[in-house]
Amino acid sequence: MFAAGEEHRQKGICLMLEMWLGGLQGLLHLDVLGFVFLGMVIGLVFGAIPGLGGTTAIALLMPLTYGLEPFTALALAGGVMGAVPMGGSITSILLNTPGTAPNAATCLDGHPLAQQGKAGLAIGAAGSANAIGAIIGTVSVLAVLPIASDLVLMFGPPEFFLMGLFALAIVATATRGKMLRGLVVGALGLMIAFVGFNDVAGGERFTYGIEYLWDGIHLVPALIGLFAVAEMIHLMVKGGSVAQSGSPVKITKMTAGLLEVFKHMPTVIRGSLIGTIVGAIPGLGGTVVAFLSYSVTAQASKNPESFGKGNIQGVIAPEAAICAHDCSALIPTLTFGIPAGAEMAVFMGLLIIHGMQPGPLMLRDHQVEIYGLIWALTASCVLASFVGLLFVKPLAKITQLDSGILVPLVLSTAFAGSFAIDMAIENVIVTAVFGCLGYLMMRYDYPRLMIVVALVLGANTERNFHQSMLMGEGGWSIFLNRPISVGLMIAIAAVLCLPIFRGVFNQLRVRKLAAERSGP
Amino acid sequence: MQDITRRNVVIGAGAAASALTFPGVARSAPAFPAKNIQFVIPYAPGGGFDVYVRIVAPVMEKYLPNKVTIVPVNVPSGGGSRGVAQLYRAKPDGYTIGILNIPGMFILQQQQGSGAYDLAKFSWIGAMGEGERYVINVGAKSPLKTFADLKALSAKRPIKLSVTGPEGTAYAASVIGTQLLGLRTQLITGYKGSADYVVAAVRGDSDAVIAAIPTSMRFVRGGTVRVLASFEAKSSFPGVPDATTLGQPDLDNISVERVVAGPPGIPPEVQNTLSVALAKALADPVVVKWAKENDVVMRSKTPQETTQLVAQQRAFFDKWKKYLTPS
Repeated sequence: MFAAGEEHRQKGICLMLEMWLGGLQGLLHLDVLGFVFLGMVIGLVFGAIPGLGGTTAIALLMPLTYGLEPFTALALAGGVMGAVPMGGSITSILLNTPGTAPNAATCLDGHPLAQQGKAGLAIGAAGSANAIGAIIGTVSVLAVLPIASDLVLMFGPPEFFLMGLFALAIVATATRGKMLRGLVVGALGLMIAFVGFNDVAGGERFTYGIEYLWDGIHLVPALIGLFAVAEMIHLMVKGGSVAQSGSPVKITKMTAGLLEVFKHMPTVIRGSLIGTIVGAIPGLGGTVVAFLSYSVTAQASKNPESFGKGNIQGVIAPEAAICAHDCSALIPTLTFGIPAGAEMAVFMGLLIIHGMQPGPLMLRDHQVEIYGLIWALTASCVLASFVGLLFVKPLAKITQLDSGILVPLVLSTAFAGSFAIDMAIENVIVTAVFGCLGYLMMRYDYPRLMIVVALVLGANTERNFHQSMLMGEGGWSIFLNRPISVGLMIAIAAVLCLPIFRGVFNQLRVRKLAAERSGP
Repeated sequence: MQDITRRNVVIGAGAAASALTFPGVARSAPAFPAKNIQFVIPYAPGGGFDVYVRIVAPVMEKYLPNKVTIVPVNVPSGGGSRGVAQLYRAKPDGYTIGILNIPGMFILQQQQGSGAYDLAKFSWIGAMGEGERYVINVGAKSPLKTFADLKALSAKRPIKLSVTGPEGTAYAASVIGTQLLGLRTQLITGYKGSADYVVAAVRGDSDAVIAAIPTSMRFVRGGTVRVLASFEAKSSFPGVPDATTLGQPDLDNISVERVVAGPPGIPPEVQNTLSVALAKALADPVVVKWAKENDVVMRSKTPQETTQLVAQQRAFFDKWKKYLTPS
């Protein structure tokens, strides 16, 4: 790996193309395709049910793959992983319940769209964003794979820490007009994130001797509470149904949704690139990627105030990012055995059972299988978008259900899903508590965006900071000695100063217009 | 005609009567296991111990007297303590068994101060193989070429070692190992998972990393790390000093054992059935092949050997307790 000379690289590229086609060839057998399709269906269902997701699906499938060839087992896993985001986006949009943690970003604009009776539009857009995100993600991954291991090695604790800060900064500045509230909520999120066993110094924080809290507040139950339960409380208080306008959901909206993506190509491409780049670096994870993509799009938009109220870009951006991320998350997992999340950790277990050890040798000895996996994942993502759309019309009717029926249904599914994650009743308590918190945040207009990102990033960012300090023996110079760190610090400064610049720029523009008007 | 019919009836009745004795025959078949067995894994799916169980369990089913399924159940909360506590409290009828990380569980219990289980009281069924020993690695690009270089560096400044969090066995191995070898260290703690902290050394975050042999082998084969010293009594790496050469035989006691156990008080016949099935599974060609490909030694241990091993590990780690608990 380190001994790559020029000739070696050229030979490597020819070999890679051969393997790439080999992966596709391996996939084009009826039985393998059947497994991809099966995986896709499972992924859709598990993605949609809150609390389950790809992690549970792959864990349950592991024993069933024993008799399969490694290539086929990977095709199945790829099928599952590709379809999960689409499944999750459906429940996010219709019920404000994130099917999986990253889909929480889709709730922010997806659900308001459903409330306006435009559920079909939103799901259609999510579907095509998923598909395009997956394609862009895959192409980028294939391009990057040869240098993937070198890339992973360039990022260490100082870079991870700064990336965490960068994500927090972007998300903080996206909560326009509510920046102070955003910071309050972010601080609360960080405090909650610090609960648990401290990996760096040892010792427990805020656990009060409760064994469940050793691992901290579990994320997915908290998210289910913040979004699903909070929304149901809101609905109970408000009455009526999710779709407020009386108009029935039209089929045409779905095709419109699919095509909507092409009106916003910059958003899709931006989201996909964010997903691919950030996904390749172990440390942030799908949830942060989705929220990051959302925030960047909101910032770059001409009317950022429309985000959170049903701007279709608010659905396209995170969904594209999630699928692109799922492809590139394979890079650190396969090249070094560093799982970029719980789903990848379980997936690694699957690999090992089938005799494929993630690590530097994986790329050398199992290239065909890896490419087959990537092909399967992409195919499943694209296919899931269409299959998901087939069910949009009946599913969208859920938004017209009266709250008297919907609320108990969703609440029981949410709590059951939350319990099912670890078979721990404490998860249900967490969901309930965060449900109340989420409702209060909705009621008093505090941005839930910040608390999610803070919850996800808090513990890891702190850990990376301490590790950086240990590496640099207590000095701050460690951040200045590394080129990527310096780049990130400049980026953070730029992001934080952006609102100031924008304010100044706007002022100048207003003055100029006033001067012109009062001119000749 | 009537005679034949009556005779048929008598023959039929006789046949029916003898058929009724068949359950009696079936009843003399082994009573255990009569239903599925749960195999508790106190970790999340996908991790090292999870994989071992998922490879061995289906093979173990073949060697049980009756046809049942061994169902792996993951209970990941609390760093593993919830699964262990659940196993401890389960009915001791042989239908719940689990895999324990020794000395991981001792360390965890020290850190958590939990009284939910007493590690001395479990019914030991056996162990999945030889304990994993540790080695000292450096990144392939590191200027340190031999153990002597490492020792020389330690004299100049503390060596930076990347380790897992204090609840992990790699942390314990690093602390104890470097104490025994007289190396000054600065630990960079908190890396998660079994690969990240080794990658840290490859990347240059740390000078060296102490990792278990199966983990290290992945990186050695990929050409990304170099082994400087082994804690084994006899080094399996040519040209690399071992515990004997370095004059610290205690290093060989630092190992990660994969112990299979049941709740306290399992009847001896049931315990025996399980342990024989486990031993046969570990000798099965499927398991042997997988183990060889993954640098894992799956030699089985008897319940007596396991009990002794656990006691020995406990004594060893009690000695080092003060270095491992947070001050």
